[in-house]
Amino acid sequence: MFDFDATLPIMALQFLLLTYILNLVFYKPLTKALDERDAYVRENEVDARERLSKAEKLVKEYELQIAGARRESQSILEQAQADAKNINAQKTAEAQQQVQSEREKAAQEIQQQKEAAMQSLEQQVDALSRQILEKLLGAELVR
Amino acid sequence: MEILDGLTVINSFTLAELEVGEHFLWKIGNFSVHGQVLITSWLVIGLLVLASVAASQNIQRIPSGIQNFMEYALEFIRDLAKSQLGEKEYRPWVPFIGTLFLFIFVSNWGGALVPWKLIELPSGELAAPTNDINTTVALALLTSLAYFYAGLSKKGLGYFKGYVEPIPILLPIKVLEDFTKPLSLSFRLFGNIVADELVVGVFVLLVPLFVPLPLMALGLFTSAIQALIFATLAGAYIHEALEGHGEEEHG
Repeated sequence: MFDFDATLPIMALQFLLLTYILNLVFYKPLTKALDERDAYVRENEVDARERLSKAEKLVKEYELQIAGARRESQSILEQAQADAKNINAQKTAEAQQQVQSEREKAAQEIQQQKEAAMQSLEQQVDALSRQILEKLLGAELVR
Repeated sequence: MEILDGLTVINSFTLAELEVGEHFLWKIGNFSVHGQVLITSWLVIGLLVLASVAASQNIQRIPSGIQNFMEYALEFIRDLAKSQLGEKEYRPWVPFIGTLFLFIFVSNWGGALVPWKLIELPSGELAAPTNDINTTVALALLTSLAYFYAGLSKKGLGYFKGYVEPIPILLPIKVLEDFTKPLSLSFRLFGNIVADELVVGVFVLLVPLFVPLPLMALGLFTSAIQALIFATLAGAYIHEALEGHGEEEHG
């Protein structure tokens, strides 16, 4: 069981050779691959993080813009409503004024015509009363 | 009689047989080597190299298939080394600790999962390379060399000052430690794997069907744990040498 012989140094040499070969074909290339992948992942992560922060900044900016636009639209709306009210009041007043003036004009006309009618009536009254007198008293007396 | 005949029929399929201490010896000059150990170790090495080449042949940013699997293995090894050696020092030691883990793990599981018995050898049997004391001692000695190298390359000869700090009385114990470390490393691995294979072998011999399965599962578990322990301890020893024999633990 415990018989040592030349197997021992041969095995040791074989092992060292195996270590050398594996270092060339296993440890070195795969370690390089692992390290490169680590670096790649880390780089991408940093990049992605940067992009994320950029995107968040953009979102914030846009949100600010949206809030501004909303405020602006609100103020425009209020302005328009106030304008409309103003115009409304103005037009109403104008219309009322016009109506008033037209009514006054009409009343004046009526008055004028009334006066004219009264005048012509008075003249006719004079003529008629004369005729009545002539008929009652005779033409000689009236004169 | 028929029952007995049936038994012999079953036993004639020798799926497992207890052979301890028998080797498939090769002679190289004046030296003899354990052929069965080397054959399986070559298979293990070949498997590891093939898997690595397949994984790193066409490296994609988004891994899939074998690359994904080997990257998982590499991350496991890196975490292991990092937890033992710390963020600063672990990188140059990943290949050594990782290869220890991979080699022992694949050897153990290969020994437990592959039915080596179906391949006939003139003598001895194919099994996990870690089943042989030569392999475990080789790995343990390399670990010792590695932590001496770590300490000496970091601090020069000042590394040996760590033996007499904080008090010189501990010098014999610290020198002793340098011997017990590889000893315990190699015997822990060797003992566990041999014991596991022996237990499974005995059970298969006694009850060839189903009963040994839980033990085999347990064997897989201990095999994985032993590989982890070996690699972790190697990392811990190297860390200790780099830090300077314990007194600058938080330095």
